[in-house]
Amino acid sequence: MRHFFKTLTLATALVSAVASVSVAADEPKKGGTLTMALQQTPRHLNPAVQSGTATGQPGTQLFASLLRYDHGWTPQPYLAESWNVSDDGLTVTVNLVKGATFHDGKPITSEDVAFSIDTVKANHPFKSMFAPVQSVETPDANTAVIKLSKPHPALLLAMSSQLLSIIPKHVYGDGQDPKKHPQNSENVVGSGPFKLVEFKRDQHVILERYDGFFMKGRPHLDKIVMRIIKDESARTIALESGELLVSGFEQNPRDLNRMKKNANLDVNNSGYAAIGPVNWVAFNTKDGKTSDVKVRQAIAYAIDRNFILKALMLGTIGASKTGIHPGSPFYNDGVEAYDLDLEKANKLLDDAGYKKGGDGMRFKLSIDYGWPAMKPFAEYVKPALKKIGIDVTVRSSADFPTWAKRISTHDFEMTMDNVFNWGDPVIGVHRTYNSKNIKKGVIWSNTQQYSNARVDELMDLAGATNDLEERKKYYAEMQVILAEELPLYPLFPSPYHTVSNKKVMNAPNSIWGTSSPLDNVWLK
Amino acid sequence: MSIEPIETARSPFAEAFEMFRKNHAAVAGLVLLFLIVLGGLLGPGIYPGDPFEMVWAPFTPPGEEGYLLGTDYLGRDLLSMLIYGARVSIAIGLAAAFLTVFIGITVGALAGFYGGLIEEILMRITEFFQVLPTLLFSMVIVALFGASLPMITLAIGLVSWPAVARITRSEFLRIRELEYVTAARACGVSNWKLMFKVILPNALPPIIVQAALMVGSAILFEAGLSFLGLTDPNIVSWGQIIGSNRPYILDASYTVTIPGVAIFLTVLAISLVGDGLNDALNPKLRQR
Repeated sequence: MRHFFKTLTLATALVSAVASVSVAADEPKKGGTLTMALQQTPRHLNPAVQSGTATGQPGTQLFASLLRYDHGWTPQPYLAESWNVSDDGLTVTVNLVKGATFHDGKPITSEDVAFSIDTVKANHPFKSMFAPVQSVETPDANTAVIKLSKPHPALLLAMSSQLLSIIPKHVYGDGQDPKKHPQNSENVVGSGPFKLVEFKRDQHVILERYDGFFMKGRPHLDKIVMRIIKDESARTIALESGELLVSGFEQNPRDLNRMKKNANLDVNNSGYAAIGPVNWVAFNTKDGKTSDVKVRQAIAYAIDRNFILKALMLGTIGASKTGIHPGSPFYNDGVEAYDLDLEKANKLLDDAGYKKGGDGMRFKLSIDYGWPAMKPFAEYVKPALKKIGIDVTVRSSADFPTWAKRISTHDFEMTMDNVFNWGDPVIGVHRTYNSKNIKKGVIWSNTQQYSNARVDELMDLAGATNDLEERKKYYAEMQVILAEELPLYPLFPSPYHTVSNKKVMNAPNSIWGTSSPLDNVWLK
Repeated sequence: MSIEPIETARSPFAEAFEMFRKNHAAVAGLVLLFLIVLGGLLGPGIYPGDPFEMVWAPFTPPGEEGYLLGTDYLGRDLLSMLIYGARVSIAIGLAAAFLTVFIGITVGALAGFYGGLIEEILMRITEFFQVLPTLLFSMVIVALFGASLPMITLAIGLVSWPAVARITRSEFLRIRELEYVTAARACGVSNWKLMFKVILPNALPPIIVQAALMVGSAILFEAGLSFLGLTDPNIVSWGQIIGSNRPYILDASYTVTIPGVAIFLTVLAISLVGDGLNDALNPKLRQR
């Protein structure tokens, strides 16, 4: 009997192996339209001067980067045929694919690469990505030599996906402010596999195949329609009905559990490790009551992270005790976690001089949230802090830009936020704490206005060496200090999933999730 | 030979009350409304509880763990939210109706009484507000100035007053030509007194009916705005409960259904009372 089962298992395995081989052997089919969801209207479509996945998902179709990454964190050639990092880490030579053209037919040259790096360096909110770049030399049309002031461990990641869009110098070099360039939203001249047909705010982004794309035989799809659907339930229903074929960054635990049961849908969370999304409560550390570290610590003790994980996230994700994603090699699990302790919280507030009034309340605070998925957490904070005598007002914003403006101009006390690590701490983590990155008007800069000389120093050290162990040491110390001073209270990473219809072959699973070129996707 | 007793003359209000009393649907509506208002006023005393407090696991179905109506997505007790929300919803209804009537009467009375250029200007303004799509206009107001309770009430009031203004104006146009108004004018009664002491009381019946119905539609309006996400997370109103539980409608439909039923019953009750008032106060309908 046992033998029979063994044979059966073996047979099943064999059949499924054959089946998977036959699927793999399937020739990609040309043509078809991929319908995809965007959760927000992008400000515009040029990732060179705008962060965020709303811009990144269409942006990586429109613009190619130098490198791309597979799901195993290995860099792959893309617009760069090959690259070489010198032994001292100060020179990176990039050889471009020959014959690549922009959507207007003009060739993509090393001049454009140099221009793109300069533009990103000057305008992109992630200042640390190319900060050590001193110059980009262009010995010939297909070679770019990047000169660095110090070894820059994040450079290769910073040259991939939406972080370094290669934009045409002959379009964006016309002297206009690239952040407000009219061709960020219409008549986009890109370098990627798809070109823009139409971008209608709050409606859709329609893209079609660029026949002159530099990778032969790609892209497979004729067209991508990215529909802007803000409502989670609406996206779930559209995915279930087959009206939508792909949606990335899905994170509603209930919808995910529901869709996992659907035989037509593939729900997976591979690919978001590099995005590294961490949810936290950010504090204004400069103005108001939250400028007192004791108040911030008290708030952290009063917020029950475990309740949030169990009741609101339904166990789909674990805790994140620091602002570095738990999946990162630099994550320090040993820091103070601020598990629920109302006694400690009350004592901290008493010590800070905020005694309870006759009604049991001490003072008022407000908490913001930027988009609907964040609302339940903000709403949770209200009753949670009432228990320690803080009367919290939940402040809603009409839309994402309104929230972004409030937070980036430091017009807030607390806010729910969700910030991405973007692969390497140098790119996505330093910006949150670096005192030199307090930039009014720039969302996801150091909007907490936090400043600590030692933290700045540790980040400088960790960002200037390619030695992994040394970097780990610096980041571990940094996380201890941050857990003590709490410019923000980290809660948990987002349970991002890509949901795709089983018709969709090669659904994106690279470390950048759906913020990566879909040139290899095809429809069965 | 017996003499038929002569019917004693009754006050118009007694007459109207008599009419209303005979209208069973209206009386049922009034009783229902009374119960709802009573629940809102006394409820928190009988069933104390902070509507914002998370009492149990989220999405505990009705009846389980001792929570009669279950809990919402944060584990807040729906029954205590519903009771607390009754006050807010009815307050929004009353405040918006008051605002509507206040603006409507002012505009309508001035236009109807003075006529001429004043009427032209005021009625063009009224028409301007009338042709704006109400939901869209109120959404713009709320989106621009923030989703706070006063702002939502203001938005509802601002989009709803033209109907009252038009009714008031037409009543004024009719009544100002009547003999007793002319007589009062001949006695030297000031314009102000003519408008608000002589004409207005006689113009009130249709306005009262409109105001009563307005309370119901304001509650509905607030629920509509909430459903679209334009809601103040710092209050609990029925509409707000629906609005914030909407993402979970597929998994826990009761969180939306229960406040929905509350709104339905309240608006139904108000409509029945309004219709009853209309029948009772409008002499032309009494023969039915």
